[in-house]
This record gives sequence, structure tokens and C-alpha cells, in this order.
Amino acid sequence: MRGLILFFFGLLLMSCSRVEPIYHMQSFVFGTMVDISIYGESEEDAQAISNDIIRQFQDLHNRLHAWRPSEITVLNHAFRSGKVPVRIAPDIADIIADATELSIKSKGAFNPAIGALINEWGFQQDEFKPVKVNQQRIAQLVKANPQMVDIVVDDGKVFSTNPSVQLDLGGYAKGYALDQALLILRKQGVSNALINIGGNIIALGKHGDQPWRVGIQHPRKPNAIATLDLPSGWAIGTSGDYQRYFELKGVRYCHIINPATGYPVQGVQSVTVLIPPQPNAGVLSDVTSKPIFIAQPEARASVARQIGIQDYLVIENDNRILASASMAQRLTWLDKQAQQHVVEAP
Amino acid sequence: MWLKRLKNAAYPDFLLGDWVVLVASLVVVLLLFKILWSHQQANRLEVRQGSKILGVYDLNQARSLSVAGPLGVSEIVIQHGKARFKHSPCANQYCVHQGWLKTVGQVAICLPNHISLELLGEKKPYDSLNY
Repeated sequence: MRGLILFFFGLLLMSCSRVEPIYHMQSFVFGTMVDISIYGESEEDAQAISNDIIRQFQDLHNRLHAWRPSEITVLNHAFRSGKVPVRIAPDIADIIADATELSIKSKGAFNPAIGALINEWGFQQDEFKPVKVNQQRIAQLVKANPQMVDIVVDDGKVFSTNPSVQLDLGGYAKGYALDQALLILRKQGVSNALINIGGNIIALGKHGDQPWRVGIQHPRKPNAIATLDLPSGWAIGTSGDYQRYFELKGVRYCHIINPATGYPVQGVQSVTVLIPPQPNAGVLSDVTSKPIFIAQPEARASVARQIGIQDYLVIENDNRILASASMAQRLTWLDKQAQQHVVEAP
Repeated sequence: MWLKRLKNAAYPDFLLGDWVVLVASLVVVLLLFKILWSHQQANRLEVRQGSKILGVYDLNQARSLSVAGPLGVSEIVIQHGKARFKHSPCANQYCVHQGWLKTVGQVAICLPNHISLELLGEKKPYDSLNY
């Protein structure tokens, strides 16, 4: 009998002492929270690699910042003052070329050239306050039609044919950083990690013998609405009206501005996209949720097809939830009430 | 009846009351198991300031915490197994509007003041949160 009791105590102790080889770090970069999990490496190695990633993020953040002095603000200043070519770093030239291609593909719904509009709405600040915009000024900025194709990159130098072009890579930089992080992890020989920059997540390998699992935040409640497994190399991103917004006279103004109207998008709470493994999976997870967010409700499915997105989830203002067929299969619902409002996308 | 046979064979001295006590305790144990062993049940609050873990606190012990960040002092309350931001020096007050956190994996972040709360428990339903 005593042997049996000891045996069960032994089991109990074993279940307590099983320490997972997981390293976890959080930091504040890109005006948001960065969360790194590394599985299966020694704590010293994981810490050194995480520190390296955070340093690179901080460096990118400083270089791409849209309103504090950075390589981008230098460019924007030059764009405003005419066609004076400015020398830029090769990686910034690549970023501009890539963002231009994505902007064309989205028919201008993703447009990082509308920095002046974003500034007018008060979102180019660390802490934004309710802003009553000048409608005429907004109309002028839309009419000036700043486009990524107005930017000319030639022989390491850049200028804009349209002085209204003002770069704001707020909808690109975090995704780009995810891709960079994956490169660092692979170079360092890490095979299992999960990187989260302000909600945009990319997975590498697994969490032990299970895939990495992510929760999708409910846009109006303080909990996750559903979970899904994020296989190695996949990325997930959400555009929402609940992270950066202000309210004025009971109306919510979110930071995602429709370049065609110059006004913040209303009527939708969040759009989540899932991106299969590819060299710019992180960038795509950041960029591709925007055109679907900006589209009219009836056009979301066709816009998703047009930009090549198979897995997406949309939470509309009337609580209707639109899920593509493949996305619906991946989701495990935690919010049973929300689950009842799910409609499959056409 | 199998119960009667079992009773007569193995426990001839048991009275009805003994059986009631036995069954009732079994029910209580099962209920407790369901409540306390649930994966969703959070039992600790992790408070971070920047990249530092300031502390991990028991959710069943009511207390309030004052945490200094770059903007000033944020106040956090723990009560009846829940936790929340009570006051914050930030402009938008998103963190305060988040309200009570109750289940494992729930997070409240005050970005301007670099303070984050996360509920911990035996098993997280997910590794990281997409928002």
C-alpha cells in the first residue's frame, strides 16, 4: 500500500517538475508590444538571439519612423520640396519597390503614400486625441492623389513626381520586421519560435510536438474569440478598429483610412488574414488585411481573391462574421455566441 | 441490485448514511475537479514593465498594485480571481476600458505606459495573441 502511495506521489511530482524548454521575452518597439517565444534552445542562446532581434527591430523602427526624424522623414521632406533626388539605403529602395507592387495589386487600397492624410487625422502621434478634421483639407489631400508609382527610384536615388507623396510605412514595417526576424532565427539555427509584433505573428517550427497556437482577439471583448494552429512559416495579421482609434461625439474613428475617400473606415471591426509560407509572409500578413478592411462588405470576397488571400475572417459592425471556407475549417471557437453569427464567404 | 450486493459482500457494516456521505463526497470531488482543473482557470497575474517581469501575483489574494511607467503610475487591482487596470496616466485609457481579465491568456496592455498584464494558469489555450 505504501509503495502505491509513493508511486502516485512520484507521478504527481513528475507532473510538477516538467519544465518546458521555452524562452519568452517581451519588449516595446514599433509603438507596440513585441513578444518572442523560442522553443528548444538553451536560455542563454534564446536570450542572446531575442536581444539581437529586438535590436534589429529598434533599428528598423528608428529608420522607418514616419514622424520622428528618420530616413523616411528625410525622404518625405525631399518629396515635398520638389524633384530633388535623395540617396537611399538599398534595403529602403527594396521596401519602396515591394510596397509599390503591393499597392498596385490592391488597386491603391493599400497605399503607404498617404502619410499626409494619416497626419491630418492625428494618427502620426504616439498618443492621439480626438481630431475635428478640416473637410476641405481632406478633400484636397485626396485630390492630390499621392501614389506609390509617383516615386521614382533610380541608381540608389529617389524622388517623387508628385509633391503630395508622404511615406508612412505603418501598415508594412511590422510585417517586414517579422520576415527579418525569421531570417535571423534561421541563420542562428533556431528551428522553433513564435514572433508577435503588435498582433502580427509569424511561426517557425513547433511548440514541442504541437504546432504553435494563436488566439484571435475579440474586437470588443477582452478575450480571444477563437484559436487556430499556425504551422511553420505561416503568418497571421489583423486590421482592427479597436487598437488605434478615437471617439468623437459617439463615433469611432480608427487609424485605417480609405485612400479613396480620405476618411477612416467605418462599419467593420476587424479583418484577419492567414498567409502560407513564402519569403514575404510577414509583409503580406500586415498589408493584405487592409484592402479587405477598406472594401464594401459585399466586395470583401472578391477583393480577397484579387489579392490572393484564401484564409480570412471578417467581423462586421453588426456582429456578422464572415469566414472563408478554408479559414472556417482552421478555427476553434472559444466564443460560442460569436460562432453562431458565422457566415461562410462566397 | 448491484449496489446492495456490493454492500452486503464488501461493506456489511455500512449504513445508509455512510453511503450518502460516500456518494456526496464523490460528487463534491468531481465538481471541484471540474472547477479547479479546468484549463481556462487563471490563477496568477503576470505584470510586466517594458521587458521586465515586475512580478507574478496570486489572483485569489485581493490587492492593488502601483506600477510606474514612462508616463506615470498605473494602478492595477486584483480581486476574486480577476485583475484589471484601474487607473492609468495614458490619454486613451484603452487599458482601463479593457475591464476585468478572467481567463488564462487574457492580456491587457498599456502601450503608452509600457505596462502589460497577462493571466497565467496551468495551461494556456494559445501561445500568443493575434490582435
